[in-house]
Amino acid sequence: MLPSDRRTLFGGSATFAMALALPAAAQQAAAPATSAQAPGFYRFRVGAWTITTVHDGFFRRPVENFVRNAPLADVQAILADSFMPGDTLTIPFTITFAQRAEALVVFDAGNGVTAAGATNGRMIANMAAAGIDPARVTHVIHSHFHGDHINGLLNAENGRAFPNAEIIVPAPEWAWWSDEGNTTRSPEGQRATFANAARRFAPYQGRVRQIAPGGEVIPGVTSIAAHGHTPGHTIYRIADGNEQLIFLADTLNRPEIMARRPDWQIIFDFDGEAAAAGRRRVLDMAATDRIRVTGYHFPFPANGHFARHVSAGVQGFMFVPADWSSAV
Amino acid sequence: MTDRRTLFAATSALLAAPTLMTTVAAQPAPASAPTQAPGFYRFRVGAFVATTVWDGFGRRQNPGTGWVTNADQAAVEAALRDAMLPTTHLDNPFIVTFLETPAGLVMFDSGTGNQLVPTAGLMGANLGAAGIDPARVTRILTSHFHADHITGLSTAQNVAAFPNATVFVPEVEWAFWTDATNESRVPQAQRGTFANVARRFGAYPGKVERFAAGAEILPGVRAVAAHGHTPGHTVFHVADGADQLFVTADASSRPEIFLRNPRWSSIFDIDGPAAMASRIALFGRIAAERARMTAYHFPFPANGFVQQMGDGFRFVPADWSNAV
Repeated sequence: MLPSDRRTLFGGSATFAMALALPAAAQQAAAPATSAQAPGFYRFRVGAWTITTVHDGFFRRPVENFVRNAPLADVQAILADSFMPGDTLTIPFTITFAQRAEALVVFDAGNGVTAAGATNGRMIANMAAAGIDPARVTHVIHSHFHGDHINGLLNAENGRAFPNAEIIVPAPEWAWWSDEGNTTRSPEGQRATFANAARRFAPYQGRVRQIAPGGEVIPGVTSIAAHGHTPGHTIYRIADGNEQLIFLADTLNRPEIMARRPDWQIIFDFDGEAAAAGRRRVLDMAATDRIRVTGYHFPFPANGHFARHVSAGVQGFMFVPADWSSAV
Repeated sequence: MTDRRTLFAATSALLAAPTLMTTVAAQPAPASAPTQAPGFYRFRVGAFVATTVWDGFGRRQNPGTGWVTNADQAAVEAALRDAMLPTTHLDNPFIVTFLETPAGLVMFDSGTGNQLVPTAGLMGANLGAAGIDPARVTRILTSHFHADHITGLSTAQNVAAFPNATVFVPEVEWAFWTDATNESRVPQAQRGTFANVARRFGAYPGKVERFAAGAEILPGVRAVAAHGHTPGHTVFHVADGADQLFVTADASSRPEIFLRNPRWSSIFDIDGPAAMASRIALFGRIAAERARMTAYHFPFPANGFVQQMGDGFRFVPADWSNAV
């Protein structure tokens, strides 16, 4: 039997948010300005690209049953090693934007409009703080179709949140979730993805371009197949000159757990074995070539590097956050 | 130009050699240039709210040489590479910790006051973004008297920048830098500190209070001696209920270098061996207690935890959250 939070997570943001225990801080009404957090965005350059990571809030779930092939005590030990609590796991959402010349690209779409009091759904406000107008977005490039990555395609009126954008999707991901004949071959907790994907992409008819992973998507952006988390999960390399950045999407969830123990499989993986193999391959490449990365569920501002790291005899990787600077 | 000379002489080799500094932020940015998010971050310590505020950075070229005094260039550059940092230059951040308490708003050290390097002086703008009015600061707790920690006490015209604050200073630090006969006991590059101390604290007549090591300065905030970096260098322990925070000032400069290698000495340490002993004792305690900490020169937002790692320590940044 699958935990109920899986079902709600992929079913849509509103029900999902309500199903979760909200932290006290998020339930308080309009806090005074002196207790407000800084806007959640961060900018840096990759060659001529300006990258902006934009925070979309977080959700919390029990640590228990998050990793499905390791004892709870082992997971809690790895969390303690990063000074994270052993009972509740906070999973942040951070969306990567890339701007160069006339191109303004967003990788995945965030949680979109969420219920009042939800801990997720901060992207719209943080985009405004960063001066990013959704009407200026030229391309929405998708890694995969889980709800927290595609729900933000719609605005509050169920219209296009990115009214002028081309929507780019991995062909194998589109093929899987647009064929309801695959329902019984999908984990029960992910079956809501079929209907949710149909709904979220609906207002973009004629604007969706399928790409075969492994080639150039737009000038300066190439796709890399990283299937497993979902059937068509795909990551993207953003390059200019000698500089590059890879958006890792959900190749790994929180690096404090999944980089340290790449062979662990999480409850949201469609094919855990394939996801783990892809994770090893991608982390090995990122560490060897010292490639800067962003991740969707990494600690904000969700950009940095991976270094090889051995602990308790396990060869894994350590996430090294990039230095924060006021000089973009 | 007296003011400028004082300022540049007052810091360490970093500022005494301004030609080594680049001026990344010196040119006004074109209107279309992308801007960074405001540099502040809030979190709770019991009923207190801490805010770390970014004042900018100083850039040091070729950090493998002339910075660590007891390790060779290859070792320093290896440490930088391990931390995924460049070896061509290193940015040294300046980050000021604020604490909202029932007894008023407390500030730990004072920033550069936009008077030291072109890439710093952003604290005022970031305080504005954070909704913190400098006039609300009632206590300034000073760790030590290097220029990047006290120059922000007053404006270029030497007017108090925090008009309603009392400045608390470690009595050992005060005694040392207010006695000109000590000049010959500090490196040439730090001798300007004597004049800068007289000038900056002179803007607070009757409002400078000395405290002893171990003193409780206000309820829940206590001084902890960590001498060596300067003769009276002091850190602060904040406690409310079961929560605690160490405000560690310059007990370690950038953690990728000096926390990982706590036996290395910085060119800015007046007494390297004493600074080393203070560093190992302080961060050993923080690691053992799994306590949260802030620091003046750590990567922003400069708060997190410390873990034993080999012969040294590893800095573990705390998770960023939009929920304060």
